[in-house]
Amino acid sequence: MKSKKIWITLVILIMMLLVPLGKVNAASDGYLQKIKDKGTLVVGTSADYPPYEFTVKQSGKTTYVGLDIEIAKKFAKDLGVKLEIKNMNFDSLLVALETHKVDAVISGMNPTPERQKSVDFSNVYYRGKQYMLINKKDAALYKNIHSFKNKTIGAQAGSLQYDLVKKQMKNNQVKGLAKLNDLVIALESGKVNAVAMEEATAKAFAQNNTSLKVINPEFNVDSSQTGSAMAFPKGATSLVQAANKTIAQIKKKNLINKQYIPLAGKYMTNNSKKNSMWNYWTYFAKGIEYTLIITVVSVFFGFILGVLLALLRLSKSKLGKAIATAYIEFVRGTPLMVQVMFVYFGIGAVIQSLPALLAGIIAVSLNSAAYVAEVIRSGIESIPAGQTEAARSLGMSQTLTYRYVIIPQALKNIWPALGNEFITLIKESSIVSIIGVGDLMYQMQLVQSATYKGVIPIFITMVIYFVMTFGLSKVLGYFEGRMKHA
Amino acid sequence: MPNMIEIKNLEKSFGDNQVLKNITEVVKKGQVICVIGPSGSGKSTFLRCLNVLEKPSAGQIIFEGQELTNISEVELNKLRERMGMVFQSFNLFPNMDVINNVKLAPLKVKKDVEEEASQKAGQLLEQVGLADKAEQFPLSLSGGQQQRVAIARALAMDPEVMLFDEPTSALDPEMVGEVLKVMKDLAESGMTMIVVTHEMGFAKEVADQIWFMDEGYIQEKGAPDEFFANPKTSRAKEFLSKIL
Ligand SMILES: Nc1ncnc2c1ncn2[C@@H]1O[C@H](COP(=O)(O)OP(=O)(O)OP(=O)(O)O)[C@@H](O)[C@H]1O
Ligand SMILES: [Mg+2]
Repeated sequence: MKSKKIWITLVILIMMLLVPLGKVNAASDGYLQKIKDKGTLVVGTSADYPPYEFTVKQSGKTTYVGLDIEIAKKFAKDLGVKLEIKNMNFDSLLVALETHKVDAVISGMNPTPERQKSVDFSNVYYRGKQYMLINKKDAALYKNIHSFKNKTIGAQAGSLQYDLVKKQMKNNQVKGLAKLNDLVIALESGKVNAVAMEEATAKAFAQNNTSLKVINPEFNVDSSQTGSAMAFPKGATSLVQAANKTIAQIKKKNLINKQYIPLAGKYMTNNSKKNSMWNYWTYFAKGIEYTLIITVVSVFFGFILGVLLALLRLSKSKLGKAIATAYIEFVRGTPLMVQVMFVYFGIGAVIQSLPALLAGIIAVSLNSAAYVAEVIRSGIESIPAGQTEAARSLGMSQTLTYRYVIIPQALKNIWPALGNEFITLIKESSIVSIIGVGDLMYQMQLVQSATYKGVIPIFITMVIYFVMTFGLSKVLGYFEGRMKHA
Repeated sequence: MPNMIEIKNLEKSFGDNQVLKNITEVVKKGQVICVIGPSGSGKSTFLRCLNVLEKPSAGQIIFEGQELTNISEVELNKLRERMGMVFQSFNLFPNMDVINNVKLAPLKVKKDVEEEASQKAGQLLEQVGLADKAEQFPLSLSGGQQQRVAIARALAMDPEVMLFDEPTSALDPEMVGEVLKVMKDLAESGMTMIVVTHEMGFAKEVADQIWFMDEGYIQEKGAPDEFFANPKTSRAKEFLSKIL
């Protein structure tokens, strides 16, 4: 009977997670009012898409710039609120919108019919052509989409360009990656032969990298599918109308061509002038700080929760055992990346103000707890049954037996494994960068897009990770050695 | 002599495997019982049922008038203090030195004060001939020495009965004697003992009674002289012909 109740509770909990809370808000459409009340407009973007949105370093601080950012600034100003930019993967933007992590998305996004099913778009504010970026040395080979027979074309996953390549270049392989920077690295290293991207972006890359060149491959583009628009939650009509008002003004004054693009261009050339890695050490420092914070906090809570789970799993309670086993198996049987996204977008749908850093720490802690629990359980189970029997035959209770006989012996096995878990977490925590937590991995991507250099930031990041894990393993090894001799 | 342990219709099954099939016996105060029998006949299981390390499937164990099979964990812990047990594989605690192995239960279970516990542990180690090993760790001792520490550890709780499960089977032959000597001294001091053993010499010399166990029953019992000279059942005859 007990277990039935728990099932019902579980089902209700799951249903609560799945009910789209947006619907409730949409009926009354208090979107605009809500933003005015809280005084900030939170805009999601994927800042690796110059000249639309990218990062520069201004007096040591990362700043988001680009024509989209200018539009967002104007929009916020017209609404009379402050602007807050949230940077994340392009793929995650619409989910973030649907789960109310952001109020609006502006990220050079095309209002495709598919996307219109899940979100509402403003009017198009800018329409560029669809271009391809190729290596300069191939300039003679590739003229248009028909000269690419059996070649591999790269495009940002989930983008319009990806769809165009897929539908109009049937004899080609499409390689979809989340980050444009990675696609450009792939192009330079010959992994792909061309990268399809929007005109302004392609030109920006070519301008900053002399080995690249742009061509217009003449995709057959339905004009209703191109152009960039702002995205809002489904039903947020008040916001769409407000955005259209701002866009109309921008168009009337031709602000995009006259001010925003030239400004973005200036930032881009500035960026490429000082793209020595030394100028970006603060990015890496910040990344190390975040990675260490996430790891240390997660190890701490993962350990506490892991001990509880292990005790539950070793307990006599059938129900406790079942819950702990189910949890451990489930967590170990699903990728950390999915868990991170579930916590941020899923739980974040219930607790709206859940910050990405906290979501990342929660997800990594919950994940680590399962592994720690297994480490502890196997440490305890590795102690021969004879030890328990001897202790019990002396009249020692279960608790005394654990405390003085089993745990002290088990710890000898557990410590080194826990150390390994710590080291693993330093590496695995890099996953949280997908929800926009500023860890080392994330900072690396910022440096890539700021410097137009693909490989060097990766290499530096790799070395930093190695120094951290190797250093930690040496420190742990030292303590382990001392414990053995103690 | 008063009864120490009464065993009434004891049965024990593991799943479908019925290991003990109906045992009714009495152990009197001060008696030394040697339990012998072929491997797998249920000797260890029988011994472990006596202090309820193994919970009997049916029947009763009455220890000094108290029934053990239906009491709480807490009461059971109290009763186990009064029944010492020595295992084939010693089972010393490798994470503490010899003296602390002996002191642990008196300190934590009986809540003896440190001084008293240390003094007593020292005496017991002296008694088993290991006073000089007090500060060593178990794994640095020979098998015979470890088993003697295990006996001292059990005695530290002042038990009224000692259960031995093949205490010398894991030892090199040259170490068997030192352990049997300690056990013999213990028997002579009047301790009630139940000893599962393959050491027939010891059984002959020290036991008051031999219980021959096979297929989950005590098939035959008697004084050692009688039993070894003149076994009555064919099973006992066959067993003795194999090992003697
Ligand atoms: N915990 C257990 N679970 C299942 N079966 C068991 C368990 N303990 C013992 N048995 C079975 O009970 C039977 C008797 O085992 P027991 O250890 O009591 O025999 P024994 O007479 O002590 O043998 P030996 O001389 O080899 O020590 C064996 O068939 C054994 O497989
Ligand atoms: Mg046995």
